[in-house]
Amino acid sequence: MKVDQIIELFREEFPRSSSELKHTWAVFWANFKIFLSYRTWVITETLSTVASIAMYFFMGLQVDTNRFISAGYGDVTWLAFAIVGVSTANYLWMCISRISHSLQHEVSEGTLEPIVSSMIKLRSYIIGQSIRGFIVSSYFMVGTLLIGVLVLKAPLTLTVETLLSFIVILVMMIVSYAGIGIMAAGIILVYKKGDPMTFLLASITEFLGGVLFPLNYLQSYPILYGLAWAMPYTYALDAARRILLTGATLASPPVLYNFAVLVLFTLVFMPIGLRTFRWGMDRIRREGTVATY
Amino acid sequence: MDHGKIVELMSAETPRKKLPTYQVVISFIIRDFLIWWTYKFWLTLDISGNILFVATYYLFSLITSPQQIREAGYVTGGYFTFALIGIAFQQYVFFAVQSINQSVREEQVNGTMETVLSSATDFKVFLLGETCFFFIICSAFLFISFFVGYLLGATFTLSLESLLSVIVLSALLIASHMAIGVLSAGVIMKTKQGNPLTWVFSWLTQLVSGVFYPLKLLPWYLEWIGKLFPLTYSLDGIRLCLQGGQSLASPAVMNNIINLLIFTVVATPIAVYVFKLGYDAARRDGSLGQY
Repeated sequence: MKVDQIIELFREEFPRSSSELKHTWAVFWANFKIFLSYRTWVITETLSTVASIAMYFFMGLQVDTNRFISAGYGDVTWLAFAIVGVSTANYLWMCISRISHSLQHEVSEGTLEPIVSSMIKLRSYIIGQSIRGFIVSSYFMVGTLLIGVLVLKAPLTLTVETLLSFIVILVMMIVSYAGIGIMAAGIILVYKKGDPMTFLLASITEFLGGVLFPLNYLQSYPILYGLAWAMPYTYALDAARRILLTGATLASPPVLYNFAVLVLFTLVFMPIGLRTFRWGMDRIRREGTVATY
Repeated sequence: MDHGKIVELMSAETPRKKLPTYQVVISFIIRDFLIWWTYKFWLTLDISGNILFVATYYLFSLITSPQQIREAGYVTGGYFTFALIGIAFQQYVFFAVQSINQSVREEQVNGTMETVLSSATDFKVFLLGETCFFFIICSAFLFISFFVGYLLGATFTLSLESLLSVIVLSALLIASHMAIGVLSAGVIMKTKQGNPLTWVFSWLTQLVSGVFYPLKLLPWYLEWIGKLFPLTYSLDGIRLCLQGGQSLASPAVMNNIINLLIFTVVATPIAVYVFKLGYDAARRDGSLGQY
């Protein structure tokens, strides 16, 4: 391309759209295309997911059925129990870490300043990135559940009612943690670090939430047991297991109770998250540190 | 500092001499330690993650039956001790396979690979130096895992003979996996990309080597694949010593040692040769400094 042509290209007037919907779509599409270009990553992650489900299958062969049944989820297999735990835990953290991870990436690549200076509102940026996160995470979650049900014959109760109830609980789980994700993003904007905190929170949540073991076994440790029920994930996982393992729906009182607690967590965390994010954004603008890392 | 002094300093003739290998290796360890120590928050996270991982398998062990573990010959400790040994020693696999790759990749990305390899440092010493620090760290994490496991009730059959046998088996575990790491680093030297094969190797090892369950639970074809991986023999030998009270004198443990020796003797020269091919190719292309 000649120099004149390049200069001409820069001079060309483009009609700029101020539609937030278009901005959100543009952010999503740009990032989704980047994701699709990492074919090796997608293949290795898929294979690794398959291997980990197979591993849980073999681990399940060592479970003492009587001890497991006495933990309170009825006559179900440990494999089904673990698959619901693992798939929801992975889904949650892939979604939540997406916002902080992408912001950290923009900071280190030096592209945050152009984004902030452009017409795109950060709200559109965050929603666009989140949609990309939901789609990628859903691929792995649905894959895990399908392999569990179709290949390993994990007995999950899949009806229209249970599936709809499960989706509602998943959405509430993500929304109740979105405040934490947005808060982490606000902290990253200022301190340019913060992913380690999300990582630690993920490890603690997975441990205390009872992904691989029934929570009744934590009762011997009252502090840990108390902490477990202070996290939204524990309620979301309990509801998801009641739905997919025992066929309960949103209309069942225990599931409805878990749903109500998730709504309560959302009402508490979301304003804190949004306020932290606004504080971070205002501060880096005032200090002129948008481009530093 | 006055610019004249700086010029003088740069012009001064420094007598260069070839340092003994151990001094170069110690320099690598000190350098890596100093870098690692600056990331104290990550260190805390790594230790917390390790403790949570062990605690998760302790709670999982409460719903398991020790029957299959005993049938496999590991009579002491039940499932928790079995899983603890798997968790603690699989870290060496990560260390041996991933650390060399990670080091080579970091040197490439930081632009220091060309400088290091253009110096008087031999590439074999470079590889040794890069891996020694990770070995120390992984050993520390192994002890942390065992300490947490012990506090949670893991039990072992300990005797001088069994402990010595575990040390021999651990050394062979590292040596056999180091070969795979070196081979993979050779590929990275040329391709300048993270090697997905190493990654696949890591999770395949976890699936078929009996980290979380005895091999007898696998279908015959996976059990057969498991026998191609050195971790299978290492873990079986270590468990027979720590959970079965056996030692090098026992035929089952000796069989594992022979298999590990064969793997190491065959794989090491191949790995060093592949690394040298990648290294020479990168030097010939003049791409040592690229990433």
